[in-house]
Amino acid sequence: MYAFMLSPIVLVVWLSFFKDAILYFPPSGYTLSWYVKAWENPAFANGFIFSLQVSLVAAFIGVTMGVLAAVAIARYRFSGSKGVNTLLLSPLLIPGIVAGVAVYLFYLRAENVLDQDLVGTFGGLVIAHVCLTIPWTVRLVTAGMAGLDGSIEEAARNLGASAPKAFMRVTLPMLRPSIVAAALFSFVVSFENLELSLSLVGPGRTTLPIAIMQYLEFNLDPTIASVASVQILLLGIIMLVTDRYVKLSQVV
Amino acid sequence: MTTATQDGRPSRWLGPGLAFPASLVVLVIIMIPILQLARYSFNHFDPVEMMQTAFTFENYAKFFGDPYYRDIFFTTLGIAALCTVLALVLGFPVAYFLARTQSRYKSLFVILLVFPLMVGNVVRAAGWMVALGNAGVVNAVLQGLGIIDKPLTLMYTPTAVVIGTTAVVMPYLILTLQSVLEGMDLSVEEAARNVGASFFTTFRRIVLPIAAPGVAAGTMLVFILCMNAYATPVLLGGSGLTMMAPALYDQITKASNWPFGAALAVILVCGTLVIALFSNWLIHRRYIKTMAS
Amino acid sequence: MAKVSIENIRKQFGAAVAVSDFSLEIAEGELVTFLGPSGCGKTTTLRMIAGFITPTAGRIRIGETDVTRLPVHKRDAGMVFQRYALFPHMTVAENVAFGLEMHKVPKADRDAKIRRVLDMVRMTELRDRYPRQLSGGQQQRVAIARALAIEPKVFLLDEPLSNLDAKLRLEVREEIRALQRRLGLTTVFVTHDQEEALAIADRMAIMHDGIVQQVGAPDTLYERPANLFVADFLGKMNVFTGRGQANDQFETKAGQRIAAPGGGNATHVGVRPERVRLQAQPSGGNALPGVIESSLYLGSVLEVRVQLDGGDRLISQIVNAGTRAAPPAAGERVYACFEPDDCVAFTQ
Repeated sequence: MYAFMLSPIVLVVWLSFFKDAILYFPPSGYTLSWYVKAWENPAFANGFIFSLQVSLVAAFIGVTMGVLAAVAIARYRFSGSKGVNTLLLSPLLIPGIVAGVAVYLFYLRAENVLDQDLVGTFGGLVIAHVCLTIPWTVRLVTAGMAGLDGSIEEAARNLGASAPKAFMRVTLPMLRPSIVAAALFSFVVSFENLELSLSLVGPGRTTLPIAIMQYLEFNLDPTIASVASVQILLLGIIMLVTDRYVKLSQVV
Repeated sequence: MTTATQDGRPSRWLGPGLAFPASLVVLVIIMIPILQLARYSFNHFDPVEMMQTAFTFENYAKFFGDPYYRDIFFTTLGIAALCTVLALVLGFPVAYFLARTQSRYKSLFVILLVFPLMVGNVVRAAGWMVALGNAGVVNAVLQGLGIIDKPLTLMYTPTAVVIGTTAVVMPYLILTLQSVLEGMDLSVEEAARNVGASFFTTFRRIVLPIAAPGVAAGTMLVFILCMNAYATPVLLGGSGLTMMAPALYDQITKASNWPFGAALAVILVCGTLVIALFSNWLIHRRYIKTMAS
Repeated sequence: MAKVSIENIRKQFGAAVAVSDFSLEIAEGELVTFLGPSGCGKTTTLRMIAGFITPTAGRIRIGETDVTRLPVHKRDAGMVFQRYALFPHMTVAENVAFGLEMHKVPKADRDAKIRRVLDMVRMTELRDRYPRQLSGGQQQRVAIARALAIEPKVFLLDEPLSNLDAKLRLEVREEIRALQRRLGLTTVFVTHDQEEALAIADRMAIMHDGIVQQVGAPDTLYERPANLFVADFLGKMNVFTGRGQANDQFETKAGQRIAAPGGGNATHVGVRPERVRLQAQPSGGNALPGVIESSLYLGSVLEVRVQLDGGDRLISQIVNAGTRAAPPAAGERVYACFEPDDCVAFTQ
């Protein structure tokens, strides 16, 4: 079963080293040149950088907002907090492609009203991606808060710290693993996203997964394999790092 | 605004205040567009103006009336159902193994499951293209072993889509099932064996019924993922095979038929939800006894 | 019912030895308790009898059959689990019926057997309830019924009472004992509660760090503990360190002389607190002078700490005589008096 689930990834990475330009088994030799070629291709190089930028910013904004919201939901039980929790987790339930086209149409309308471009812009894409990062952050941080020993913060207050101080100096640092995990996970989710971004990118401003997909619709060769392998490598490393902070199996 | 009232307890605006930015973003960027999309599904499509505001059911009528579109829905449904069942049958043993193993490599096995999920569907589909193509691994191996003379056509078939989609959703299923099984009291299984039940009988009569609600929830999730699949069907299915998600995308971006595309979206989401909830309800009825405390 | 032969059983997990060279013959109809602190190997041994763990070395026989490699479901060693482990999706009656079905008991006979065993544990009225609708004590009784329904050769209980509250624990304990006697069940009962073990056992096996310390009837273990661990684990024991002298005399480090059988060769000598009387004048075989330090009021007894001349310390347990006697006062000079026959000598 593991072979079944992992073989595509293994195959892609393997292919990226093939010497021949056209797919043929068994390969006549191995080379690293495709990686160089891929980087020289503006579509891929720009796609990579663009994806990095979008994901970093979206993760940053999303995690910040998400942490505040998670704290509010888990700590300050206000009426409607359950509803807010559901609202913030809802993007996870909506099919990516449906959300993508919905936002696209919404942006078109908003463009008329605001007299400003949204589709195909960096900002427009980032805001949409923030909706991807918020749910995961809320989920991870509320889970993290549930696991905290409440009496530690109480001890801080008992020793003289005011409530906000106790929170900032004691609780928040205890949440660090969850927050870091949320940040890394959000980055990954945003980077590898396809469906939501599909209708929101523009010429010259496209994400790496989309660039890969567009190439794959016509061509399968070591070049694209090397681009995909770079994505695998990047996201794989981030995943391993995240695992240090939070048990990934519980999250998914 | 201070964060504390006179007696030191937090102001009642603190909670809502903290949650406000995130809520605003999700509301405006997700909720409102979705509602707008639903609203568009009742508009009228005009080749010249593209969309005229109206309130009509013609888009839905078109969908249900035209066998071409009904086909798309049922093809999607069939593939999703098949993939869900396959993932369940193939994945359950793995989940059971993970839940019960004492091996020190357990976390490694789990990470190996999470890894494909993080890498992205596009990349995984690419891998299947390498495997299943005419010049791909499977054909090369079979030809090399002399089992076949000419390459089998595996790519751009429903089979390829099923294989690819099952591989994509299996980690989700295994992880969900694993946590359900881990939550089960092991001594209940031991008790069954103690009074004389063999391993397989214990599995069938004790483990499955108790795990059923959790299994149902996990399966529902996987079914929804399969119904909504985009990248895998497009890359592996070819132009001969159309599924709901790609179809609705094309309607909106290529054909610019927003109302119809919106209707497809609504039908996809609602249809999936209805089927998933119905199956869940069926399973609940059958196994209601376990679900109490 | 059958006898159980445990022959040189050993269990290792990697480098850690959980049970080391355990041998025991359990007679038909006998109730043996395995007693010891957590981690001593008692549960591991029980689970080896049941078949959930395979021994690293040694043999287990139930009756004449060597069951060491026999799978769990073929052993007929009905077990009651610590947290009951009832099948949550089945009623009480169905829980009990399950084992009968597995043993291919014909349907016609099943009902009668189920009724009989539920009557025995007084759960007949609740036969159609689900486990979640039952209290802890009731679930426990169903667990017992379920294990007995298959008419096992051996009856195994893994700390069955530890999840019940104190009063219930006593009740259920007596019920189990009565049932076991009535049916003549060969029984192994694991517990960490010594009072429990003492109360119901025909024989006890005390374990520590995987090694059996002593096996015997409760009174033997209590009166004549084989080593310091057993002496200290069962009840309380005053232990004097020192050196043996001639004529069964033992001299403590502090210079006190104690007469004890075997004391001439001993490294330690012990005497139970309840055997030590505190008197104003010396009397009896041993009378050690000292001063009362403090007195602990424990309800039915008083625990009096005495500082003996020379430095040793001793605890005497005296029955609370209420208003009939003045309680011992701190600072009072007394003699701690006890008979040589009440002493136990240890060579360690």
